[in-house]
Amino acid sequence: MFKKSIVIAGVLYLSTAIGYSAQAENVPITGTVQSRCVISVDTPGVYGNPNAYSLTTAATDGGVQPIVRYDVTLADAYYAQITTPTEFSSSPALSDTWTGSTEVSAVSDATNMGSYETNKVTFGQTTQYDLTATGSTWFKSSSSATYGGNKAFPGGTYVAQVEAVCIAQ
Amino acid sequence: MKNLFIILLLSLLSFPAVAHEMVPTYPKWRTSYIDDLLVTQMEMFNKRSDVEYYEVAVFDQEWFPIPFVTSYRVFKLKYLSRVKFDVYIRKQDKDRAVYVCSRSKVVEDYPANAGISSMICSKFKD
Repeated sequence: MFKKSIVIAGVLYLSTAIGYSAQAENVPITGTVQSRCVISVDTPGVYGNPNAYSLTTAATDGGVQPIVRYDVTLADAYYAQITTPTEFSSSPALSDTWTGSTEVSAVSDATNMGSYETNKVTFGQTTQYDLTATGSTWFKSSSSATYGGNKAFPGGTYVAQVEAVCIAQ
Repeated sequence: MKNLFIILLLSLLSFPAVAHEMVPTYPKWRTSYIDDLLVTQMEMFNKRSDVEYYEVAVFDQEWFPIPFVTSYRVFKLKYLSRVKFDVYIRKQDKDRAVYVCSRSKVVEDYPANAGISSMICSKFKD
């Protein structure tokens, strides 16, 4: 009787072990270690509509400023260029005027990234930063569109794109 | 307080991870198996849940386009997918080609459109 129990227990153990090994799966985690720049969308932008003839990302006007994060793993290897929109990618036909700007919102290394904002170069709607340190930098853009002659925007959906570029030096 | 924590947790969990990356930073041209063509291999990773297509281009120092060949000029790259692709140029363009770039193609009417297009450029250095 005792022997029979041992045999049954052994068979059960083996079958469980076999079943377990049959169910086991290897989950691969892959990665490449090399210098890189990663652009992440931290906060999507939203246009507020404080009056009939303006669309703006200003929080006080019901908008949300888009925030984009740059992660670099090699110092002095990349420029960040952020360009605020100059046209709607999707809108009713209209004539509009644009303003926009970009600033550093946050940095992961205050000591080495503290000069980013003062050293930025702006040309047209584009702001360029020299990413001289490794780590993450968050850039916040603002954008406003005003309809010509302060006339009311036609009803419809308005979409515009901020362009975030990372260029190897 | 507990409800606030749950709302905060849910909002963190629901926020999509959206990133675009391309390596290497400094690619090198090498001889291809086709006469008079040089090739380099790039790798792209799509962590933007709002983007499925990326366009590749090669530029000179002044950002004028340079003729090149890839299997697809616009890649369909699903969320969390990685692709390795070869870029070919003519040998005569070797010294002119400075940047190889990938740009996200944002779908105009896509509801999750983040309003941010991303472009990453690697540089050919001697």
